[in-house]
Amino acid sequence: MSQMFVSPGVPGGPGVPGSSTSEPAARATGLTKVYGKGDTRVTALDSVSVEFARARFTAVMGPSGSGKSTLMHCMAGLDPVTSGSARIGDVELASLNDRRLTELRRERVGFVFQGFNLLPTLTALENMTLPLRLAGRRPDTAWLDTVVATVGLAGRLAHRPAQLSGGQQQRVAVARALVSRPEIVFADEPTGNLDSRSGAEVLGFLRDSVRELGQTVVMVTHDPVAAAHADRVVFLADGRLVDELHDPTADAVLDRMLAFEPQGSRRTR
Amino acid sequence: MLRTALRNVLAHKARLIMTVLAVGLGVAFISGSLVFADSTVAAYRASLSEDYADRDVSVSPKAPPGASADEQYGALDDALVRELSTVAGVASVRPTANGSVTLAAKDGTPMRADSMGGRFAVAYVPGPDGRDRRYPLTAGRAPRGSGEVALDRGTAAAAGYAVGDVVTLAADGPVLRPRLVGLVSTEDSRVNAGGTLAVFDMATAQKLFAAPGHYNGIDLKATPGTDQFELSDRVGAVLPADRAEATTASAQAAQQSLFIGTKTKSYARLPLVFAVVSLFIGTFLIVNTFSMLVARRGREIALLRAIGATRRQVVRSVLAEAALVGLGASVLGFVLGLGVASVLPYVLDTSGDLLPSGPLVIGPTAILASLAVGVGVTVLAAWLPSRRAARIAPVEAMRTAEQPPSAVVSRVRGTVGVIMVVLGAGLLFTLSDATSATDADLQTAMFGCGILMAGLIVLAPLLAVPVIRLLGRLTTRFGVVGDLARDNTLRDPRRTAATAVALMISTALVSGLAVIDRSTSEALDSQAAAGLSADYVISTRNTTTAVDSAAVRRVGDVPGVRTASATADSTISAGPLVKTISGVDPRTVDDVMTLRFLSGSAKALGPGKVAVSRSFALDHHVTTGGRIEASIGPGTGDRDEPYTVVGVYEDNPTAQDVLGYRADVQHHAYLRDSVQRILVRTTDGTVSRDLEKHLRAAVSDSPLLKVQSRERLVEEQAGVAGELMTMVFGLLAIGVLVSALGMVNTLAMSVAERTREIGVLRAVGMDRSGIRRMIRLEAVCVAAFGTLLGLVGGLFGAWKVSGLANGAIPQYSFSLPWDTLALVVLLSLAVGAAAAALPARRAAALSPLEAVAEA
Repeated sequence: MSQMFVSPGVPGGPGVPGSSTSEPAARATGLTKVYGKGDTRVTALDSVSVEFARARFTAVMGPSGSGKSTLMHCMAGLDPVTSGSARIGDVELASLNDRRLTELRRERVGFVFQGFNLLPTLTALENMTLPLRLAGRRPDTAWLDTVVATVGLAGRLAHRPAQLSGGQQQRVAVARALVSRPEIVFADEPTGNLDSRSGAEVLGFLRDSVRELGQTVVMVTHDPVAAAHADRVVFLADGRLVDELHDPTADAVLDRMLAFEPQGSRRTR
Repeated sequence: MLRTALRNVLAHKARLIMTVLAVGLGVAFISGSLVFADSTVAAYRASLSEDYADRDVSVSPKAPPGASADEQYGALDDALVRELSTVAGVASVRPTANGSVTLAAKDGTPMRADSMGGRFAVAYVPGPDGRDRRYPLTAGRAPRGSGEVALDRGTAAAAGYAVGDVVTLAADGPVLRPRLVGLVSTEDSRVNAGGTLAVFDMATAQKLFAAPGHYNGIDLKATPGTDQFELSDRVGAVLPADRAEATTASAQAAQQSLFIGTKTKSYARLPLVFAVVSLFIGTFLIVNTFSMLVARRGREIALLRAIGATRRQVVRSVLAEAALVGLGASVLGFVLGLGVASVLPYVLDTSGDLLPSGPLVIGPTAILASLAVGVGVTVLAAWLPSRRAARIAPVEAMRTAEQPPSAVVSRVRGTVGVIMVVLGAGLLFTLSDATSATDADLQTAMFGCGILMAGLIVLAPLLAVPVIRLLGRLTTRFGVVGDLARDNTLRDPRRTAATAVALMISTALVSGLAVIDRSTSEALDSQAAAGLSADYVISTRNTTTAVDSAAVRRVGDVPGVRTASATADSTISAGPLVKTISGVDPRTVDDVMTLRFLSGSAKALGPGKVAVSRSFALDHHVTTGGRIEASIGPGTGDRDEPYTVVGVYEDNPTAQDVLGYRADVQHHAYLRDSVQRILVRTTDGTVSRDLEKHLRAAVSDSPLLKVQSRERLVEEQAGVAGELMTMVFGLLAIGVLVSALGMVNTLAMSVAERTREIGVLRAVGMDRSGIRRMIRLEAVCVAAFGTLLGLVGGLFGAWKVSGLANGAIPQYSFSLPWDTLALVVLLSLAVGAAAAALPARRAAALSPLEAVAEA
């Protein structure tokens, strides 16, 4: 993990984790995920292969039941895969036991959830530093200040989640994901519970973290406007990777969506 | 609504199971104690019920107390028996010579020696066929002559004797060693309920229990159609007046049932204390469970309200659910109670011969009480949460965001709690000046303790915050896991408090009682040892038996014995008060008793002279040189004699209230001319097993006598408090059990509520062991809080209440039983950790995906 401790003295440039820029931050190869058995068997992911490049903001799009959330859960080590391979950096997730997987999430992965998911008993600051404290590490003060300043929460650090608005809570969640300087941040519909202005703010922070801090972000969304903030959009339908788009605009994303939406059979997983 | 309630119970059966268990436990003690009481009363009744069916009128001797055996039984002889058989209406006459003998088992242990009765002895009265049909022989033959005895079959089995063995027994004096020649069976319920029965031939029985050639009773059977009372009158007419009297069997039976009634009244008390405590503690658990259920179902209840359910319907639904839970708990509790009832005799009667034995008796009271209490308590406890449920507004159904738990505790609660604590403590402080344990003072003490505890219960949610913050200093050593545990415990102080209160109550009770017990028994120890300088005490097990006078000489001759001082024990009545008196030998008493004379001395004792204890002197306003009018011995109030007081000594349990000249006391002892104690001083204070063996041999290993070293005697005195300790540990066990159930319940519920949160913790990097540790620490925090509060309340109460004992026992001083207190604390914390095991495992098993699951 020493590669993650890049000098904090360079504001806005912690450096890109990893030794080689050619190697992706995360990669799925023939990733298959099946739920249930017999009659209730549902193939959520059907041999998906995709790479998420470092220091890039990738959006995963698709209609409901397309498997985009499942893909994220499998890539983040939250849900075991049925077959195929999911890697973070050069680590094969299937080879890790629960303990190692927990450590991996703690050290190398950051999460932003749709429902904020802050701990109600902790203050904003405590929530942000929770992954670090769980790892038994001290927060790097300069870096923490940078992140706090970036998400604009300097005046609210002692507040508890219940005292913050939804947008503020989600900004705390973004900060929590960034503070430990993970190799990759997974964001699951981060704007789903926010009004459009707060949503735009949060997306802005995610994008800034990629542009200015060199962070890798993978975001699952079904909102074309949100996806338009990304550098690249990959499209999923029926558990398969069907398309991708670089430097998207909201309209372009919407067009693609409309293009395969009618054929996509709806599935609930 | 009933159907909704039923469905809710089924849907939440895992949640409710702890509640059912807790209520069931309380019910178990109630039904257990009632069944136990019923069974014991039935068995006791059996053990006391002499069968009067085989007689109609009994003739018994009548004589002034203290009369010699010849005077007493003189009238009941064969001439009278012959005369009675000629009275009109008498079908048959059976003379009896019954008494009491104490048997030693084959290994030498006295049988039922410490119980009030149940050591029966009878004469074998052969009928025309040569057999006594009351006692059919099952082995061997009937006893003949003084060297033979027969035993009841069950008695022989319990003692380990077989036909042919030599049996050790004693009536009221010397030890006899007859040979066992036969076994009998009997229908006498007193024997079958655990009594012992020895059967002698008539001549031997007469010698032992009456006088040679005389009987101590004559039973008459009436011819058919003869009225008992008429016969009794006719019989009375032929009896020598003032020497014998006739009683009808029905009068005897009526008197007997009255006696049994008073004897058996108090049996159910101890188990009922347990029942009250466990139900009281259980109430908090029930309130807590239903509060949590209502909170969890808030949205659902709001929805019901939105679609048109009235407040009353919501209340009724919650209460119906509670009633169903209570019903289940009652049934479970009743079944558990049968187990409790069958175990109780062993718990309450460690020596195994004080309580009679018999089958379990299940009366309707036990069943009805179980149902009423189980359902009643549960419904009452659910009432508050049901009101809360009714207050849920329909609009809450529309609310999507989770409501943060409110940490606001009302100011009213604080004020009320503080007032109660101050009031309770104040009441206890008023006792500081009390010097004696009067009933009024005791009531004040109980009341004060009660209010203090209630105040602490009310204040508990307020105290939870600072106390757990403080405990957080310790948990923070576990890093972020510890901090999270602390914060989670603080999240809902009311719930934390309600969970901790169970432990608080049991800890307070146990620590308070343990302190009082320790302090009292230490005082008793020093008191018992204070008056005694003898190294051994040989004493009778009760005052109606005696140490055989030849034994006193033999004890004095045992090598290593410096002084053997015989002491006769009796009562002395001076005025309305009956006090105890020890008749001693003035030459040797100083060697065996430590007497602190305020004036005069024991040396001056002689015929007609007494020394009195300080409290006796105060009560009777006498001093050295004064005179008292008193009578020694039982039932002799009308023949007072003057006694000169030759000394006043500091109160002393060995010397008792009054010291008299032995011959004076001995003459009026329960058993005329007998001594009850031999105080033995050894050369150089030697105490050894060998010496003890020699002493036992000197008193012929009599089952009537105890040979105890001073140390043993002190232990026995302290043993009086033993029952209190049984209660202490019983309460501890119950408190710990019920609070464990409560804690499991709260934790399980809180894990269920925090599923998503735990998922987040797992997602952002807490491993399974971290989750487990967090839940465990939460439980330990709650347990520590309850224990701490309980210790404070219990120790404060005990400290103040012990002031009362100070007056009653001069040697009393406040003393802390560190071992018991440490046990209480450790056990409570362990309970916390153990209760967390299951919920912690469930929490750790949660997948990080729970964090992203839809609400």
